[in-house]
Amino acid sequence: MSEDVPQYLAAHIHDRLADEADELGIRVDIRGDLVYLRGEVATPQQRQRVEAIARDIATGRRIRNEVHVVAVLEPEGEETLS
Amino acid sequence: MISVAAVGDLHVGSDVRGHYRKHLTGIADRADLLLVAGDLTRHGTVAEGRIAADELRDIGVPVVTVLGNHDYHSGAELEIAEVLRDAGVTVLEGNGTVVHCDGTRVGVAGGKGFGGGFAGRCASDFGEPEMKAFVGYTKSFAARLRHSLRSLDDADVRISLTHYSPVKDTLAGEPPEIYPFLGSYLLAEAIDESDVALAVHGHAHKGTEKGVTPGGVRVRNVALPVIQQAYAVYRLSEASGRR
Repeated sequence: MSEDVPQYLAAHIHDRLADEADELGIRVDIRGDLVYLRGEVATPQQRQRVEAIARDIATGRRIRNEVHVVAVLEPEGEETLS
Repeated sequence: MISVAAVGDLHVGSDVRGHYRKHLTGIADRADLLLVAGDLTRHGTVAEGRIAADELRDIGVPVVTVLGNHDYHSGAELEIAEVLRDAGVTVLEGNGTVVHCDGTRVGVAGGKGFGGGFAGRCASDFGEPEMKAFVGYTKSFAARLRHSLRSLDDADVRISLTHYSPVKDTLAGEPPEIYPFLGSYLLAEAIDESDVALAVHGHAHKGTEKGVTPGGVRVRNVALPVIQQAYAVYRLSEASGRR
């Protein structure tokens, strides 16, 4: 099973995040039996969805979900380009 | 002086309907126009396009946008552009427009753009048809961008608006291995051939805000995760030009 090979597993998770969650910017790293997910998504639901997809593929491994939800703050300041 | 608000990568969906629009209240007090650097949607469906259109409709300043790769994902890019236009948003795909802001003619030319990489580390128009198609698409877009920027000769200030990046400066933070999928130097080359005051792009969520083309044109990556606010504001004058 290519899922046993960490590099292929990371690539397959990355592919499925693109296919099923439309997230292209999540970095997937495998360290031993830990799967690290890093990046930014728009909502807490999307953060959970990303984790669920990774969990579904990476059976037997633990997931470290370090994905952040992007905070859209009120605009402030400006830059003058002269 | 004109104030240009800019943002990219809104990635709206039904779960965040109306969220972004709340931050646009009062934009007319802060800016003369809003530029959106593509990826308005997540899956590129017409339904998401309608949500994006509702976020940007009647906000009190003109809105000019380009589409991004996500907006092409479902093959509905033409319909998405149409629903945005129906909401009064100007959608550029290789063409240009002039917005009149308080007596200043602001010319904006742009489109989605594409990848290929940066000088010295880039894909070449060589080999298999698939490779030629990849590079050829970017070349053909760059030619249209060049032409559209040049055609804005009656504008007082010229801005380039793309989804993909013209430079690698603003990709810093992204893995270097994926730079060829994030932008192309061909866009910068086209920009550098006109008197452009600012080049705005999105796409690189992990990148950085500020860069400059080899010809000295200021580049700003306004992807929402990069600017971390609803929009950035840049003040430009007719004298704004190369650094």
